[in-house]
Formats: sequence, C-alpha cells, structure tokens
Amino acid sequence: MPTQENNDDRIALLQGTLDLLILKTLLLGPCHGQGVARSIQRQSEEVLFVDHGSLYLALQRLEDKDLIQAKWGVSENNRKARFYSLTAKGRSELLDKTSQWKRLTRAMGLILEPQGLKAQNEEG
Amino acid sequence: MSKQKRSAEDFAEEVRTHLALEADELRAEGLSPEEASRRAHVEFGNVQTANERFYLRGRIQWLDSIMRDLRYGLRSLIHSPGFAITAVLTLALGIGANTAVFSVMNAVLLRSLPVNDPTRLVYFRTSNPPRRTGTISSSETFSYPVYQALRDQHPGLANVIAYVPLSVNKVAVRYGSQPEEAEGDMVSGAFFSGLGVKLPLGRGFSEQDEKDHAPVAVISYNYWTRRFARNPGVLGTTLYVNGIGFTIVGISGEGFEGLEAGGSADFWIPLQNRPELNAYGNPLDEGKAYINNPTWWCMRLIGRLSPDVNKQQAVAALTPLFQRAAYIGLGSPMADEKPLTLSLEDAKGFPGYSEQYGRPLHMLMAMVGFVLLIALTNVVMLLIARNATRQREFSMRLALGAGRSDLLRQLLAESLLLVTAGGALAWLFALLATRSLASWAQIEASLAPDRTVMLFALITLVVAALLFGLAPLRLALAAGPALSLKTSAATSNSEAGRSRAARIMVALQMTLCVVLLVGAGLLIRTLRNLENTPLGIRVDGLVVFGVNPHITSVPQGKAFYVDLIAKLRELPGVESVTVMAERLGSWWSDNSDMTVDGRLPDVPNGSSRTVRSNVVGPGFFTTIGVPILAGRDFADSDTETSPHVGIINEQFAKRFFPNRNPLGHMIGTDDGRYQMMVVGIVKDHKYRSIDEEPIPMAWYEYAQIPIAGKMDVELRVHGDPLAILPAARKTIQQIDPNLPLIKPMTQRAQYNLTISSQTLFARLAGFFGVLAVVLVATGLYGTLSYRVNRRTAEIGVRMAMGAGRSQVVWMILRDSLVLTVIGVIVGIPLAFAIGRALSSSLYGVQPLDIVTYSLAILGVTLVAFVASAAPATRAASVDPLKALRTE
Repeated sequence: MPTQENNDDRIALLQGTLDLLILKTLLLGPCHGQGVARSIQRQSEEVLFVDHGSLYLALQRLEDKDLIQAKWGVSENNRKARFYSLTAKGRSELLDKTSQWKRLTRAMGLILEPQGLKAQNEEG
Repeated sequence: MSKQKRSAEDFAEEVRTHLALEADELRAEGLSPEEASRRAHVEFGNVQTANERFYLRGRIQWLDSIMRDLRYGLRSLIHSPGFAITAVLTLALGIGANTAVFSVMNAVLLRSLPVNDPTRLVYFRTSNPPRRTGTISSSETFSYPVYQALRDQHPGLANVIAYVPLSVNKVAVRYGSQPEEAEGDMVSGAFFSGLGVKLPLGRGFSEQDEKDHAPVAVISYNYWTRRFARNPGVLGTTLYVNGIGFTIVGISGEGFEGLEAGGSADFWIPLQNRPELNAYGNPLDEGKAYINNPTWWCMRLIGRLSPDVNKQQAVAALTPLFQRAAYIGLGSPMADEKPLTLSLEDAKGFPGYSEQYGRPLHMLMAMVGFVLLIALTNVVMLLIARNATRQREFSMRLALGAGRSDLLRQLLAESLLLVTAGGALAWLFALLATRSLASWAQIEASLAPDRTVMLFALITLVVAALLFGLAPLRLALAAGPALSLKTSAATSNSEAGRSRAARIMVALQMTLCVVLLVGAGLLIRTLRNLENTPLGIRVDGLVVFGVNPHITSVPQGKAFYVDLIAKLRELPGVESVTVMAERLGSWWSDNSDMTVDGRLPDVPNGSSRTVRSNVVGPGFFTTIGVPILAGRDFADSDTETSPHVGIINEQFAKRFFPNRNPLGHMIGTDDGRYQMMVVGIVKDHKYRSIDEEPIPMAWYEYAQIPIAGKMDVELRVHGDPLAILPAARKTIQQIDPNLPLIKPMTQRAQYNLTISSQTLFARLAGFFGVLAVVLVATGLYGTLSYRVNRRTAEIGVRMAMGAGRSQVVWMILRDSLVLTVIGVIVGIPLAFAIGRALSSSLYGVQPLDIVTYSLAILGVTLVAFVASAAPATRAASVDPLKALRTE
C-alpha cells in the first residue's frame, strides 16, 4: 500500500481508513468537506493529516457508492457549501467497518504491545 | 440507480468553498487575510490537480489502479523469488515447447502453398503404372508422353503442369568461376503462371520456353538471398547447370520453394531435352532421356481445377484420356493388366510433408499438450498454495475496504506479470527449439513463426493468464474480511474442498506423467531396437561418397571408373574399393520384376514379384562385408566382353528358386533384353534403410550394363574412415579438377539417416517425458511442502498425543502414494490408447510393452517418493512443543 513520506509528526492516512473516518465524522451530523477535514485533524489530536485533495475525491467516491449523500447549503458563517450526510447504507457500512477495525486493532495490539503494558491499559 | 452525474464545475465550486471556509477559520485564529488565504491554499495542495483528478476520476482510475496493481504484484513476486522463478520457467517450458511444435506443424501441415488460390490445385495420382515401366513413386509419377497428352487436352482443368528434379539431391552449378551445388527442377512452361506464383523481379516461363527448351532460369527468393545477397543485378547473368549456361530471367516470390516434398528448390529451368540434364540426374537409359522415354514415369503432375468443376467431375473427364496416354509408346496393355485409375488429390499444403511428418507431428503435439497441461496445473497449484498463505493479507485488504473487484484485479495483475515473463521466455525458447527441430528433422521449408503461430502462443498465454488469475480468486474471496481476525493456522486452513482440488490436480498430473512416460518409453525402445538392428554388413570402416563425372559415352564412363578404382586402391590405408549405382542406406532402390530362366516366375497368388536391384563394382560384397553363401563375388575379370553375371540374395533364391540351386541359372530384366547368369548368393542384409524387411534382390556388374554416370564409391579403410577423404579428393581431382565429392560420409552415418525421423521423434518424446517428470516432481513437492507447513499444528498435536515419527512420515507418504495409484490406474488405459496410436511408429516393440509400462509406473512412483521425501522428513522433525506454541 502506498504511503507518503512525511517529515512532520503527522501520519498520512492508509487508504481505506480515510473512508471510515469520514463516515464516522458524518455520524455526528451533516458537514461540509472542510469541516470534515478539520474534525478529523482535531479529533486525532492533530496526529492524522488529511490531504484535502484526496478528501474530496474520497467524499465523491463515497457519494458514488451511496454511502453518503450531498446537497448545497449555507455554512454557519453564511458561505454556500456542499453538505454531506450519512445514508442508511453508509450507517450500516460504518458499523461493519468499525467493528472490523476494532477487532483488527485489538489483534494488532495483542501482537505489538508487551503483556505488561496491556494489563496496565486494561486496568486504566 | 440513476444519479445525475456531477459536473466538474460543481466540484471546482466546492473546492473554492473549502478554501474560503479554511481561510475564514484561519483568520479567526488570528492570521492576516492574505496569510490565511495563502495557508489555506498550501494546506489544500494543488487545486488544479484536485480538479483534474476529479475530472479524470472515472477515466484514468482503472489505468492508475492497474499500474498500482502491477507494481504491487511485481513487489510481491520479488518477495518470493523461488515461486516466481519456478512459475515463470514452468510456463516458459510448457508454452515454449507447444509453440515450437506448433510452428513446425503449422509450417509443415497447415500452411498453404504461397500460390494463387491453392485450394483449387490438385496432384495427379494413379493406382498403378503400366507394366514394363519404372517409376519414382508408383502412384505419384508419370511419363513425359502422359504429361504431353494431358497438357494438350485437359477437360475439367484450367491447366496441367509438370515438374521433375534435376537430381536426387543437388546438381552441380557454377556462377562465375566457383563450382557449387544447388537444388533445381525442370518445369513446364505454365509452372509459374499456372500456379500463380508471384515473381517480384523478372519473368516466369512461357509455353514457348518449354517448346524451345529455352536456356533460361528462375531462381528462388531464398537462393537469391543466400547466394546473391538480393542483388537485382543477377537478372540477365548466366548460371551454369551441369556446364550448360542458363540466363537468369526471374526471381520467385518469397516463401515459394518449389513443390518437391521436403526439398527447397534453388532454381527452375524449362523442361530440357539434353542428355546432361536428364531427370533426377540419371544417366541415359539406352540413349533416351526422360523426355523420349515412355517407360520412365518420373514426372509429377499438378493441375488447377477449372471454375465450377469439382474433383470427381475432372477425374471422370480425364480418365479416358489418361488411360490412352499411359500406353503411348508401350504397346497395348497386357491381358491380365488391371485398367489404370486416375485420381486427384488436394495440393494446397506442402507436398509430401503430411505423409512424412503428419503422424509424428500430431503425436508430438499431443505430448506437448500434455506437458502444457501439467505445467499449467503446476502453476495453478503453486499459486493456490502461495495465495493460501496470503489469505490473511487478502482478508486484511477486504477489511480495509477493498472490493472483490480490487482483489480480482490484483490477482490478475500478478498472473499477467507471470504470464508475460513466462511468455517472453517461451517465445525465445520456441525460436531456438524450432530451429533445432527443423535442422534435426531436415525440414528445409521456412519455419519462421508466422501470424498463426503468434496467435496460437497468444491464445495459450491469455488462457493461462485468466486461469492463474481466477483459480486463486475463489480462495481469496472465501477468506472474507473476518479471517484476518483469526490467528490460528490450523483453523484457517483446513477447508476440505481446497485440498480436494489440489489432490485432483496432482492425480491428473500423475496420469499425464504415466502417459508421457509410456509414450517416451515405447519410442526410445523403438530407437534402441533400430540402432541395434544388425545390418548384415560390416559397416565400421566403410566410407562412401558420390562422383558425377562429365561423361558423354558409356565406354568413357567405364574407363573412368576402372581408372578411379585402380587409383583409389593404391591409397595407403585403403583395404578395398568398389562402386555402386545406388548408395546403400539412402532410401533409394530400383524396383522391377525380373525374369528367371527367360520368363516371369510364378508366385503364389497375391504375393509380390518385385525385385530390388543395384549395379555394383568388383569386390562389392567383400568390401561391404556381406558373407557370400555360395558362388563368388564380382571380380575385375567380369567385363563387358566376358559372360554376363549376376548375384542374388537369400530371399531371391528362396522365392524364385525354391528347392533348387540358383547357381548357373539365368535371370534378367522383365523386358527380356538383358540376361545374366547367377554366380553368387549372398546373405540378406539391410539395403535401403535400417527398418526394412528383407526382400529379393539382384545385383548387376557395372561393366556389363550400358549405364555409366554418377556412381557412389565405397571404401573400406583401416582406422578412421573419414581420414581417407582428403587423399580420395586429391586422387579424383587429379583425374578431373572440377569434380567434387558428393555427400561424403561414413556408411554408418548414411544408415543412421534412414532412422533420423525416428531418432528425432524418440529424443523429443524422451525430452518431454523428462520434462513431465521434473514438472510433476516440482508440483508435488510444492504442494506437499505447503500442506505439511499448514498441518504443522496438527502434526504437533498428533505427536504430542504419541504418534511416532515414522507414523508421521507414513501419513505424508501415504497421501502422495494414494494419488500416484489413482494416477496410474487412470493413466494406464490412456497410455494404452496412445500406444495403439503410436503403433505404426514402433519397431520391435509392442504397444502393450510390459517393460515400458513397468518402468513408467516405477518412474512416477519414484517421482512421488522423491518429491515427498523432503516434506515428509520436515513433518517428522516437527517439534510438538514449538508447533503448538505457534497457535
């Protein structure tokens, strides 16, 4: 899977994960592209870096797959913007992918994290 | 699901909105408006690119993803070089062998003659020529008077064309001062125009050229290329054929090499009537060349059907004419002679090839087909094994949002890489193999792969690519996204269905391997038998070469050979010297009926009266080492003036002198013109070829027969037979500096030429057998190792439960033995069918040869054992504790 070389601490997103993050963000309510980007960056404590060009293509892809829908509206500061919201299909896709992701990361964690640390984490 | 397609403008608008919103936010964080706008742009990256990507999204995405898939595939192949190399080599061998054999088959059997509308060309055939005639081929050749009659009147045919070679092999030509040899045919005036051969340069022949026996020649494109470097200046220059000048007037179209079976003509001249240019380079028969000799049926005839006439109609119209023409100059048919029949045979392919190579080539094609099948299943099994270990990777990709089509594309990309690499290598391999095939088989026609061959290779490759892409797909998809979460090797790899597929493939391979080994075994045993067949001749120490002196009269010819024999006898190392009109072991024989004591002998009904004869020199049987059972050999004292003598073989004595002593009886030619007394009986020996059955033979003494032209000289020497050649050449050049030695070789090599196609066939079959064994072994090894790896945990459990190492080894071995047994059981009847089909190519071995079958079964069993040994040992060395810990 192609990754990008990054000099800063931010991590470029794996392909496929961006879709998941978009769906997750939209679960909270309709949002425009710039809002989604900000939201992902902020919620990940600025660790994840969203390439804006890719973001819009990803939005388009999700829209093509009927996972999200879009319509033009007005932003809070009165700019015309394209608002995205989850469809029913997108909602169930999100649930699926989220549980898969959780099991995957748990499995990865089991392998990557030393036993002691894991125990502590579970306590904490 | 119909949705409005979103416009690029709409997308651009959204991007502008984004930049504005981003700038708003940055301004709110305290940046200046200019700085905010700049930062927003920087954060976004290239706006133009984003717009382009949106625009191209549907269009270039597939190309982009294919490139990505290819890169990814390449990387993953590089990560497992063992797999990649094995798969590519397997493919290259399988497909390369098929392409090579197919291109020979294409050139020899499938390709049409490069003439205009070859489907309407027909060869003339007859059931049997009239009595008292000599033929080149009893069903395919006709006399000049027959040609003449049919040329002048040919209902149902647009034209009738005759052609006849100037020599059995090559004829002496000279261009400038350099004497050399070339293949040439004499042809009728309508040859080029009637066949519709294109002449890119110059002209063909006309009816007038034929009538005038014009001294003009057309050279073949090949000869023009090879000898004259495609110099157009050769037109108008002179080519000397047997010392007679011919003006080159044309160059034939590329790919046209004449109509002689297996040969490739270098030049053509109109039908001639000079004694120096007799058909087949034969000396004159009682002063007559082919053109005024109705008893020598030596010309091949080809015709073109008139439009709207089919073969049956043409035959019906031609037959009465033919039956009349056949007896021109021969008198009326004898009372018991059957009426002659005429038939027409399609001539669209290259003549003579299908009889000569048809069956072996079809068999070879079947064999390489099997090899290909083994190779393909091998690669499929390797791919399945490899992709099974990658199931988690596929699972992970599915979990991360890759679609099924993405997986398919990736698998196809990998298969495409394998097939491309394998295909390129296969093409190289095929080019090399085709060239060596052609030189072994002595096929002189052009074998360069054409469009048909490329199409064949391409189709094979595409089928392989699809197969390799699709076969592992089910497996990859079966994994499903959930599998990535399972961690147990044992649980994720125990689907019975997959292992059943693999087992069926291994059993299939075993079956094919048995068939190939049996086929190869039968052919190799045939070759052994042929090689070990006693010739009845002391062949070691014999060397043979031809000489074709320029002779104008019979006495001059005899004097030449008497002189030559005397001079050669004096060379140091030479034990004895003799001459013969027809070279031993050259596939050539003079067949005719012979009289015994003045009349044709009675033979039990149906059996043949045919006798082979040869004209030989003094000391012939002593020189070639054939025992004389009674009487004497020819001697120097047998001359034209002494009583005419002949020698016969055992078969002749048995058939025509039953219970009588043949010595002292008279035998003679069927026309009764030439009589000789039997003075010797020799042991039967191989005459034309190694695989012939003995038939009655008679020998004339050359000094007593009115022929003298080209002869072959046989020398028995001490030491290396070929070492005498320089001295012999010098001797001959002292007599005539222009005489070359024609085809000098040891007599053994000459005999071996008669089994060259069997040798080739057996060698190739052996090669494909070995190839099959190697492929099956690697395939089985790969599959078993993979399965042992997957079963490590299971084996660990078994051992923990107390299974011994030998039990584990047996478990693995039993697996492959069961498959071997199934393969053998299915393979034996199949092999029997193949053996039956081969039976006409076998010599001294039955299609159901126990030894061959046993060896083949032993062979596959051995393969199974060898391929299983390493995986079984590995299984036995599994440490139960470690195996369980990997869980």
